[in-house]
Amino acid sequence: MALDYHKCAQEIVDHIGGRENVAQAAHCATRLRLVIKDNSKVDKEYLDNVDGVKGMFESNGQLQLIIGTGTVNKVYDEFLAITGMTAATKDDVKAAAAEKQPLWKKLLKPIGDVFVPILPAIVASGLLMGLVEALGKAIPGFSSTAWYGFLDMAANTAFAFLPVIVAISAARVFGGNIFLGAVIGLMMVHTGLLNAWNAGSADAINAFFGVTDGQIPTWNLLGNLSIGGYTIGSISRVGYQGHVIPVIIAVWLMCKIESWLHKKVPEMLDLFITPITTVLVTALLTFTIIGPIFSGLETIVLEGAKVLVQNPLGACVMGAIYPWTVVMGLHHMYNVIEAGMLSSAEFNNLNIWMPIASAANFAQFGACLAVGLKTRNQKTKAVAVPSSLSAALGITEPAIFGVNMRFFKPFIAGMIGGAAGSLLGALMGIGAKSYGVTGIPGYLTIDRPVPYTILLAVSGGIAFVLTNILWHEEEKPKAAAASAPAEPAAPAAAPSAAPAAAPAFVEKAVIKCSAGEIGTPVAGKVISYEDIPDPTFASGALGVGVGIEPEDDTVYAPMDGTISTVAESKHAIGISGAGDMELLIHVGVDTVEMNGDGFAPCVKEGDTVKKGQAILKFDRDKIKAANHPETVVVLLTNSDDYEDVKFGENA
Amino acid sequence: MKEFKYTVTDPVGIHARPAGILVKEAKNFVSKITITKGEKSADMRKLLALMGLGVKQGEEVTVQIEGDDEEACAAYIEKFFSENF
Repeated sequence: MALDYHKCAQEIVDHIGGRENVAQAAHCATRLRLVIKDNSKVDKEYLDNVDGVKGMFESNGQLQLIIGTGTVNKVYDEFLAITGMTAATKDDVKAAAAEKQPLWKKLLKPIGDVFVPILPAIVASGLLMGLVEALGKAIPGFSSTAWYGFLDMAANTAFAFLPVIVAISAARVFGGNIFLGAVIGLMMVHTGLLNAWNAGSADAINAFFGVTDGQIPTWNLLGNLSIGGYTIGSISRVGYQGHVIPVIIAVWLMCKIESWLHKKVPEMLDLFITPITTVLVTALLTFTIIGPIFSGLETIVLEGAKVLVQNPLGACVMGAIYPWTVVMGLHHMYNVIEAGMLSSAEFNNLNIWMPIASAANFAQFGACLAVGLKTRNQKTKAVAVPSSLSAALGITEPAIFGVNMRFFKPFIAGMIGGAAGSLLGALMGIGAKSYGVTGIPGYLTIDRPVPYTILLAVSGGIAFVLTNILWHEEEKPKAAAASAPAEPAAPAAAPSAAPAAAPAFVEKAVIKCSAGEIGTPVAGKVISYEDIPDPTFASGALGVGVGIEPEDDTVYAPMDGTISTVAESKHAIGISGAGDMELLIHVGVDTVEMNGDGFAPCVKEGDTVKKGQAILKFDRDKIKAANHPETVVVLLTNSDDYEDVKFGENA
Repeated sequence: MKEFKYTVTDPVGIHARPAGILVKEAKNFVSKITITKGEKSADMRKLLALMGLGVKQGEEVTVQIEGDDEEACAAYIEKFFSENF
């Protein structure tokens, strides 16, 4: 008999002291994990006999009910519905943040979320690729050396297989199985399909498929069934190298299918029915619908581009929309245009496409650099500066996806800069003598370096200045902060410097004794140590004090003193203060298990600290994702040594 | 004086919470208890000093107990170590 999830959850709620008695609820593969405020209200005997509960135990301050794989999540959902609690997972926090945003931000956010984690890979590849390509053009004969061959291979790996990296990251963002995501990504660059970068070359097509007409063959799954010019079920045998958007859409689709199937398929069959159906259906939809839409777009862009570049105004438009075509992954086809121009008398055998691409790319560089210089957020800076360098070398993906697109206004500034530069380039009539490089390496192929310099300066400069005017750090919505994991907004954190911006709440004492006062180390709701969701802390065995339910992610020194210990796992800091007060600040419960991930101490053992100085930053999302209570424990560990210890919100 | 050596097997080493309990227990005895790891040593009555040793899994510590109740204390502490670390 199938388990009545609702009844099971209801009985659990009824016998743990109701909603009010639950501090936090989460689940793992088999167990419902509850953080209970008052254990005496839990009717353990009854719970043991609830239909669906296979066992229970208490561990790490959690009441854990064994329910079983495949059912625990359903009981958990009911549990949340009954209690009205929200799931303590990162996804939900993010989803809640996303709710309040305008549509365009909602659409852009997944792109940022997908790209931020993979930035190290593409920034490294982007810079290397730019350098290797530039060297290949700059040093005669270098491009035929063994070193070039090797470096080129090493440099472009991340880009050659970009869909795989994007797919894995997207599967994580959309909550699907990352290995299924990897399969979708790999499928889209499968070696059985023509490399998308070669789709414009008839020779490559002929060689790859053993045909002679230079046309990419198709698989017509439904024969020749067609509506208008569109053959239903027809798959063009070309890969998605360099594509981003189709991959994100495909993986999003995959995650929807997967999660729908998980709900519908009986547990017993779930493990093999769900993955096989998910992969097959996603593959079919991707190759028969998403693929044709994008290749249709590609053709339109290509034809449109050929027309546009014929006059300066068109070039100006093209310069503006160029970054969009990079976003859509449509820029592969441009080599075809460039090669065409070089062999055409109409264009005087001059590649006038390259100045447009250069202007557009260099404008993204300018915008990205402006963000990098303007931001006070160290993480953003660390991404934006190298990304802008890569863009200057002509590889704009890191700058566009990692920075400009996420904040969007810099992207607009880049479009305007690109348009201006393209217009200028067309008016000055410059062009390149070959193709393949843009930006700084473009000097190697351009016919006249001086106008080219003006073009770069104008496009990059306009984008830089506009970004400085239009973009403000504060505008970065909260959700963007959430999308950049491990990114506590960096307030003044100069170690051992005077507390430049010590927040006011630090002055509010939470512990007082004869030796002195201890302020509030982190913004949030102050509770007695007895209410900390952990039996050891709550017992007072480690001294008395308070717990704080944090509303912020920075811990400030609550008194003057010396850092006597920083835990190996970075989640706890000890401070010795006046009158031998020994204070322990322990962020979260059981967070030692996170091994330091999500914690960034700003001090080290032996440092002298002033009250109000930032000493530790922590990532609330990560603590939640690891299913730990995030209560910041503040205990006077040697409270036994004093007789008149007062603690609490109004100490 | 009593002395014993112990190799920590707990994956997270001697961290805040168990260390806190240890300190609490240590205060029930009159003997002076010193824990040594390498060149650093700490008074077992001081939580922050104990945590400051940063004892990790696989590391050996030496515990020295000296005082009127050292027999009982050593036995107790050793048992505590084997049960908790």
